[in-house]
Amino acid sequence: MSEDERARIYCRLSEALYHKGSRDLAVECARSAFELQSQKEEVANLCAWVFSNCGEHAEAATAYEQLLAIRPHWAAGHRHASGSFAAAGRLDRAISHGRTASDLEPLSSEFAFHVGCLLETVGRPAQAAVYLMRAAAVDPADARVLRQLSATLFVLEQSEQAVALALRAVALTPTDPLNALHAAELLLRTDRYDEAAAIILGVVEIHKEDAVGFRLLSATQMLRGRTEDALVAIDRALYLSPHAAEYHFHRANLLHRLGRLDEAAEAFGRAAALDPSNPHLKRSQLAVYFDSGRLVEALAIGGELIGASPDNQEYAEAVLQVLHRRLEMLDADYIVLGERPLRRVLRPRLRPTIFAALRTQLRVVYALMMRETRTRLAESKLGYGWALLEPVLHILMLSLVFAVMMRGRPPIGDKFFIFYYTGIIPYHLFVHTSSSMTYAVSSNGPVLQLPLVSTFDVIMARGLVEVLTDVVVAIILLAGFFAVGRGVLPHDFRALAGSVVAVALFGCGTGFVNAVINAFFKSWDKIWAQLTRILYFCSGIFYVPGMMPDWIRDILAWNPVLHAVDWFRSSFFPEYEPHWLDRSYLAIVAALSVAAGLYLERGLRRHLYEPL
Amino acid sequence: MIALEGVSKVYRTRNGQKTVLDDVSVTFESGYNFGVLGVNGAGKSTLIRLIAGSEVPDLGVVRRYARVSFPLGFGGTFHGALSGRENVTFIARLYGAKMREVLEYVEDFAEIGEYFDMPVNTYSAGMRARLAFASCLALDFDLYLIDEVTEIGDQRFRQKCAAAFRERMQRADIILVTHNIHTLRQYCDRGAILANGKITLFDEIGSALGRYHRLVQESL
Repeated sequence: MSEDERARIYCRLSEALYHKGSRDLAVECARSAFELQSQKEEVANLCAWVFSNCGEHAEAATAYEQLLAIRPHWAAGHRHASGSFAAAGRLDRAISHGRTASDLEPLSSEFAFHVGCLLETVGRPAQAAVYLMRAAAVDPADARVLRQLSATLFVLEQSEQAVALALRAVALTPTDPLNALHAAELLLRTDRYDEAAAIILGVVEIHKEDAVGFRLLSATQMLRGRTEDALVAIDRALYLSPHAAEYHFHRANLLHRLGRLDEAAEAFGRAAALDPSNPHLKRSQLAVYFDSGRLVEALAIGGELIGASPDNQEYAEAVLQVLHRRLEMLDADYIVLGERPLRRVLRPRLRPTIFAALRTQLRVVYALMMRETRTRLAESKLGYGWALLEPVLHILMLSLVFAVMMRGRPPIGDKFFIFYYTGIIPYHLFVHTSSSMTYAVSSNGPVLQLPLVSTFDVIMARGLVEVLTDVVVAIILLAGFFAVGRGVLPHDFRALAGSVVAVALFGCGTGFVNAVINAFFKSWDKIWAQLTRILYFCSGIFYVPGMMPDWIRDILAWNPVLHAVDWFRSSFFPEYEPHWLDRSYLAIVAALSVAAGLYLERGLRRHLYEPL
Repeated sequence: MIALEGVSKVYRTRNGQKTVLDDVSVTFESGYNFGVLGVNGAGKSTLIRLIAGSEVPDLGVVRRYARVSFPLGFGGTFHGALSGRENVTFIARLYGAKMREVLEYVEDFAEIGEYFDMPVNTYSAGMRARLAFASCLALDFDLYLIDEVTEIGDQRFRQKCAAAFRERMQRADIILVTHNIHTLRQYCDRGAILANGKITLFDEIGSALGRYHRLVQESL
């Protein structure tokens, strides 16, 4: 069998095998045929066809060159050869054939586009532009060509033309995402953000699954200053493509820009996990840690940065800045605690029961009373001396004056001392409590800072101290009278106790009212002091109301302290039983004053005391 | 645990009303130490006093499920005419503590020597602070409120305080107000930012500091 025949049989076999789908065998047969008679046109033709269809591009290229040796002006052949060479990775040969093809047939848009793309790929944009313009001139409605030309012109820094072409491509194929994204990118690069945004929004509207589209939208929104929208877009992109390190990086930068430092740090962490060697990422991560004051973390990142690129001045400066900040903070006044101790979790305390609360209140009032007495001792030299001296002086003075005026006999009984004593003691009990409670709040400011202490406590404590003091003073005075032989024991202890309790309550109730009034009218204590002086003359201390004309006595009978004095007096003098004395009047007034005082104090408590 | 429920607090100042808290509901969990951050005048001290109970809110309630200390950091509760001993006696009595133990502890801890029996008027500011610090530590609180404790004596005394607090923090929590970031990081594990009448709680003191840092920068 001649070579000629064998080659022809191989060719037929190869063709048949190819059509049956046995590509490997088809290629084998084509090789055999090509080895036998490569110079023969129909053999080379078939081999080139089989080779290129079966992906054997290098051999296909050889076959096409063989064919072109026979038919050098076959433009389509040059185009095929160029394609095969390009696929085989030999771009120089591919370009040379491509140019020949386009030069042989300048009216083929496809040929010109093909070589243009090749030239663009190898980085010869100027030559690429020539061919792409040829393609565009032949077929001005081909969006693909326009886009490629636009990209090339942009590389050649003819941005305006590039943008115009890109926009024309978009206009020709409004639904093609590639053209749209290309145009958007060029618009972004030429600072035409709003137009870019319009185009990208159009793209992602149609292509809802396009991560790249959303990434670009995010960039656009960021450039337009709409950081929140940018964040929404990148979140969508990350949802579509969750493992893109660059997306995480971009998101982290957005969060940083929004001041959401913790989230930013977390996003940087994700990006760094996906792309551990990116120094730009680390630099940004450092910045976010620095801004959030997490200097230890910032320093750790800084260490990695400097370790990876020791000669980078900018990184070194950033790390130095962190170190400086850290030193500034170490410089401050502080206490080193070392590692934090392990702790057991406290069991919450339940709210105290009413009895526990009452016990606490009693404890507080007691503590305050002790403090009051201490303070009184510490504040004046005389201390409690004055408490004793004051009634003694009063009684002495009244006794002297009236002993002369009354010619030796008091209105009741036969002892001046006891008569005035029975007037002064209830009067003082009322005046002392009501007056000193008036400024209990203002003089206890510091103690009121203690959470346990309320205004009620300080007012109450002050009142109780006064009552107790006056009672003790009364007992001492009586003892004193006995000592000088002029003592008299009360005959009716129930009346004694009743009158003391009633007047003490009246004093305390009035004291609460006074304390509240004094919080709002600062000079109330002075007015009150004047009122007590008037009271001194209206309370039957140095006279008996019975000595007065009826109409005056009827007026004086409105004074509860007068009843207190007469009640107290009646317990000492059995024959003294005045018909105007109304014990229940005093009791009711005392109860009312206590109720009013406590009610006012409770209701206005938060206004009584303004903390510093 | 401290729970603020719908708490509002408004102050009248010379320049009109100042809202410190505006309908705030937050819970300071027990078992954590909180650092309170806020710009000057935000009302940190008021917040501390509200938690302590030294002040009552205009609206809402503060619920305390713990023995809360008085705000530590000011010796203002001491009566100048009374001696240190008398003042401490008062506080011990007030809180129902064992008098002798408290007095011994304070006398030993405050290191003010014979001044302990002299009127507090005669003390230096540092001595007052020592007395306040010692008497607060002497009482067994579940929650210590500390408001800007800065100068407590010399370095040695500060170390001593730190040691005492460290020991105490094993069974007590603190709520701390300070501008010293380092102290905050050392003592606190959670943070709270007080700004514009609202409180934001952070599970990490670091995040609180970060946000606060940002806040301060924004306000500049």
